[in-house]
Amino acid sequence: MHHQFRPRRLVRAALTVALAASSLVVAACSQYPNSVFHSRTDTNRDVGFLFEILIWFGSIVFVVVEGILVYTLIRFRRRGAARQPEHVHGNTTLEITWTIIPAVILVFIAIPTVRTIFRTEAKASSDALEVEVVGHQWWWEFRYPQFTMRSPTGKLDTVVTANELYLPQGRMVSFALKTADVIHSFWVPSLSGKRDLIANHTNYLWFTPDSATPTAYNGFCVEFCGASHANMRFRTFVVTPDEFASWIAHQETSAAFAVAPPRQAVASNAAGAAPNQPAAAAAAAPAPAPSATPVTPVAQAGFIAFPRDRIPPYAVPTTPTPADVQWTPLFGDPGRGAELLTKGAGACLGCHTIRGNPSMIGSIGPNLTHIGSRTTIAAGLYPNDARHLALWIKNARKMKPGVLMPTIGLNEYDPQLGATMKAGLTDQQIADIVAYLQALK
Amino acid sequence: MSTSAIAHAGHTPTTTGLDHRKIAIWAFIGSECMLFASLISTYLIYKGRSRVGPFPHEWWCQTTNATSATGPIAGCPAGALFKPILNIPVTSQSTFVLLMSSLAMVLALAAVENKDKPGWAGPGFGGRILESSKLWLLATALLGAGFLCYQAYEFTSFVHEGLTIRTNLFGSSFFTLTGFHGAHVTAGVLWLLTLLAIDVKRGLGPRDALLVDISALYWHFVDVVWIAIFTLVYLIR
Amino acid sequence: MATTATAPAYAGAESHAESGLWSWLTTVDHKRIAALYLGTALFWFLVGGLEATIIRLQLALPNGNVVSAEKFNELFTMHGTTMIFLVVMPLSAAFFNLLIPLQIGARDVAFPRLNAFSYWVYLFGSIFLNVSWFVGSAPDGGWFGYTPLTTLAYSHNLNIDFWVLGLQILGVSSLAAGFNFITTIVNMRAPGMYFMRMPMFTWMSFITQFLIVLAFPVITIALVFLQFDRFFGTNFYEIAQGGDPLLWQHLFWIFGHPEVYILILPAFGLVSEILPTFSRKPLFGYPVMVYSGMLIAFLGFGVWAHHMFAVGMGPIANTVFGVTTMLIAIPTGVKIFNWVFTMWGGVLRFTTAMKFAITLVALFVIGGISGVMHASPPADLQQTDTYFVVAHFHYVLVAGSMMGLFGGVYYYYPKFTGRMLDEKLGSWHFWLFFIGVNLTFFPMHFAGLYGMPRRIYRYDVGQGWETFNLMSTIGVGFQILGVAIGFWNFWRSRTRGNIAGNDPWGAPTLEWSIPSPPPDYNFAKVPKVTSRYPLWDVKSPALTSNIPHSPAEEASLDIDVGGQHAGRVSRAIGNPPGGPVGASGEAPAGPSGPPPTPRRVPTAKELGIPMPNPSIKPLFVALFMTLMFASLIAIHKDKTQLAVALVIVFGSALTASLYGWLLTPLEDEH
Repeated sequence: MHHQFRPRRLVRAALTVALAASSLVVAACSQYPNSVFHSRTDTNRDVGFLFEILIWFGSIVFVVVEGILVYTLIRFRRRGAARQPEHVHGNTTLEITWTIIPAVILVFIAIPTVRTIFRTEAKASSDALEVEVVGHQWWWEFRYPQFTMRSPTGKLDTVVTANELYLPQGRMVSFALKTADVIHSFWVPSLSGKRDLIANHTNYLWFTPDSATPTAYNGFCVEFCGASHANMRFRTFVVTPDEFASWIAHQETSAAFAVAPPRQAVASNAAGAAPNQPAAAAAAAPAPAPSATPVTPVAQAGFIAFPRDRIPPYAVPTTPTPADVQWTPLFGDPGRGAELLTKGAGACLGCHTIRGNPSMIGSIGPNLTHIGSRTTIAAGLYPNDARHLALWIKNARKMKPGVLMPTIGLNEYDPQLGATMKAGLTDQQIADIVAYLQALK
Repeated sequence: MSTSAIAHAGHTPTTTGLDHRKIAIWAFIGSECMLFASLISTYLIYKGRSRVGPFPHEWWCQTTNATSATGPIAGCPAGALFKPILNIPVTSQSTFVLLMSSLAMVLALAAVENKDKPGWAGPGFGGRILESSKLWLLATALLGAGFLCYQAYEFTSFVHEGLTIRTNLFGSSFFTLTGFHGAHVTAGVLWLLTLLAIDVKRGLGPRDALLVDISALYWHFVDVVWIAIFTLVYLIR
Repeated sequence: MATTATAPAYAGAESHAESGLWSWLTTVDHKRIAALYLGTALFWFLVGGLEATIIRLQLALPNGNVVSAEKFNELFTMHGTTMIFLVVMPLSAAFFNLLIPLQIGARDVAFPRLNAFSYWVYLFGSIFLNVSWFVGSAPDGGWFGYTPLTTLAYSHNLNIDFWVLGLQILGVSSLAAGFNFITTIVNMRAPGMYFMRMPMFTWMSFITQFLIVLAFPVITIALVFLQFDRFFGTNFYEIAQGGDPLLWQHLFWIFGHPEVYILILPAFGLVSEILPTFSRKPLFGYPVMVYSGMLIAFLGFGVWAHHMFAVGMGPIANTVFGVTTMLIAIPTGVKIFNWVFTMWGGVLRFTTAMKFAITLVALFVIGGISGVMHASPPADLQQTDTYFVVAHFHYVLVAGSMMGLFGGVYYYYPKFTGRMLDEKLGSWHFWLFFIGVNLTFFPMHFAGLYGMPRRIYRYDVGQGWETFNLMSTIGVGFQILGVAIGFWNFWRSRTRGNIAGNDPWGAPTLEWSIPSPPPDYNFAKVPKVTSRYPLWDVKSPALTSNIPHSPAEEASLDIDVGGQHAGRVSRAIGNPPGGPVGASGEAPAGPSGPPPTPRRVPTAKELGIPMPNPSIKPLFVALFMTLMFASLIAIHKDKTQLAVALVIVFGSALTASLYGWLLTPLEDEH
């Protein structure tokens, strides 16, 4: 898979000059997957044009001013005591000149700026794909209000996912941005500028992803939002319209383990993922076997998730796990896991929804209906594999500072409560739940 | 001795010819303008954005969250109906009291400035009254205290009617704004009483006029702020 | 060198010469208060630098694990708060104190005890803010403290309480100093020192005081709302009650943007003093420099929302705030060109002070260019809250303010102490700091444009940010070395530096006409000023022949030249004996040169100059005020009654000491 992540030519030229000047030549050779100069959307091309103007004018001003300064320093340095300084204290013509020249430059910057402001902040077109983004401390909820379906209980549901945003190529997507708590800011540098998520406000943002090849982009929260601000990331998958339709169709289905799951043992991903080679690990240890009979086999036939082998390395998290949370690989039974959750083990049902599982209707945490098909957990912090999932369930608060998700592992130390949990799930119970969750494709 | 700064200012002529404290009080008042501008803007920004009542000018029914600008809401249970909070007749009285205090302040300053010209205010009892700086300082302080009493009454009756600083955005921004103003009036009353004490102890004369002058500037400023508050908060709906 | 160990030449001149602790606690002398500000601010500079160092160590490599997420948030919050409120502002205040009276020919500030009060409030406020480290909850909401993250719902420990109360305490200090300096400059200028003759540092300080006086009340109110929300349950930022997070942002940035100019204008002023001296040329375009400073300050109040382009204000607001922000580039650019052309045609001496000053000019250009890039809202949406912004404001505040302030220290240290700083150590300080600053902050531009968000305590491998972050961290090492050498220089030169004499640099302004360190009364005779460069008028009249003057017979300066008292000199008389000083450009009394004979400067009493009495009362007022604010903390320890009791006790003590202060004469009766 070839990634064409290069800045636009002019910008790159300007940057390269600056880089060389700053002895940053080495750095210039590596790749910048989150660069703001990627023109993968209409808005980013507009902004890229502004950047070209700004960087060119900036570079010219820099060179001219520093040139005059350095020339002055060399030419008028003291050489012996003989020379007398010029008796000048001002020059109206010169001063008017260097008032007018910047003003003219600013006009050349201001005009395209204002045009771009009004173009990029215009109303989105009515046939745009609508996505509602809800920020939470510290994860992202993405809702697709144009795609609704009846849950088994007859409730009208919306397609909703967490921390993974799927967008079709070539169609304008219009975001409505809200927050459940503090201020967050939604940013995919390769696709668009950022916009804040503010309580008692709804913000809007649109762009049209039009990259030639389906790929993944990293997204970040860029407004400081508390302890795990750094751990509030997400992935954006830009896919073909067909793939998107297939993905949506799958998301509309209920969980695979809606009723009476078969009691068949599934090997948890014992191999785990070496922190620095998660992609390889993920590839080496394929997701749990599809032998766990799915209720909705149709969806699995088509595109249901961005294929792991096509995910570029920069979109695979490498966060090391805390040394003091241990996980020994165990065989988990998804059926037992489903039963545990349904019975309320670990109190998962207090916060999470698994559509199709009538007891899992919590609304505080991410919706887990299709968690098995996601590539990461904990807001892009860890790869979604058995080991990380197990560690996460066991002691989320050590895995991610400040999280609301309680410590569920028996005898685990909870750093927020400052206490060891005397009640909780055994490793075997966690393995069962992991197996169940992984089967929720 | 309370004339410390006067003695200091006395010996070097200043650039402007004005006393340092006169310049400083103007800088202070400029700063205070920004303080009250922030408070008043906040009140105005939050006007009409409270999610629950009671409201400044409208009736409010707690059970239905309905409001009415004209009169009691029909069908609202007795305990759940809240009157408009602001009582303009009462606050008009307190505004009048505060304005009168400014008048008294002007007379106090005139009395101090002309202490060395007995009889300047004319003959008779009226003239002697006008010449009494103690009387007018006391009057200013008492009228200021009177305003504070009105405010205390207003605050307690608002609390009684169901509005506290915690109730809603209106309560928070109203009590903070008027409370800040009240604190300024309180400081002014203390200042005036201090001047009165000095006057009683050793008499204030023209050479102390500046002391009274800067307190008068402060006092008038606090008054003007109240006019703004009374207009923007009470009168404008 | 025998003389290097002797006391400064004029140390014996001070009438309150006792150097005991009590004399420092009770001082009302603006020069001693300046020294207190300087020492305290440099101490906090080390603390803020330590915080920055830990931040950089944490970020040196991906997935860093030096400190926890919570500790990191405390570190960057306190780094910003410390550097802004406890370092750059007080360092500027040290120069306001030292220089404003000296430059305008005054004997002290307008309100000497209020001046002492400002310092003590600053000291106690800074201690209070940092006590939070020792109770384990330093502020962690960012220096900008955005609500609702800082409300009780999302931050229920004491962290934000320390921040809210600490900033309010520090605000009192800045406001009191602001009123004081405005009055001083308006009302205490020597005869002939018209506004358009004031030295540029005094001008920039004057403008800064207006910014302080008008901007600080706004943040005070924003903080009062937050404090009321946290302590008394009001609803200003309460989401469920309809509170608007943008209220905080607007109030904060209406303060916050002028604050940027509060931080940079004094440094601009210092550079405008240093460049003419070491170019031996008057400042180019003096009136335009004054007006551009005013324009920057004026526009500075109208651009606050450019910090908020991402909050969704709509295209019209974005356009207005974007364009007004761009406008600020014009007066700023004018300043840069005027500085360059001050040097053009001059005879440049590259002393350490001059190197720092030139570096401000050179590097502020970078901060200015990135500033214009932020002014374009669509482009800013790709820059804001990334490391590009971190690079931008560090170029403004470190490569700008700190360079200027360090230049000021090298330039004015001789006037402060009577001793020269070592130029060789100074050179090391400068070059290491210069390399360190650029190595630290330049790569951050790239990290930001390549997508690195601000305020993250760790980042993933393979994001393209590793090289830049490693370079930044290495740069910090250079900065530490440079600063360490500089501090060593500051320390050792107190006693071992060469004797400075009145005017070691051949400078043009009044402060150089009097002994170093100046006697407590500053000017034995209040000078009469005939032009912007009174000392050059006397020493090197040719340099000022082209600038406007009053009639020569008005001039009178009681000056010393090269340690030899030249008596009263006026322009009509011409050059003092010994010819124009400083024309040769040599610092007098180098290690090999003959030390000037220490000459006793008469005391204020001998001259019959009334001086303000020392007073401990400002310290007490400041102390009780700080304690009164600090008592509120008890509310969040569920000890409301204790808090009320303490507030009443300290409030009464405050009132009593305030009355004690106001009712005590400033000077003895005479």
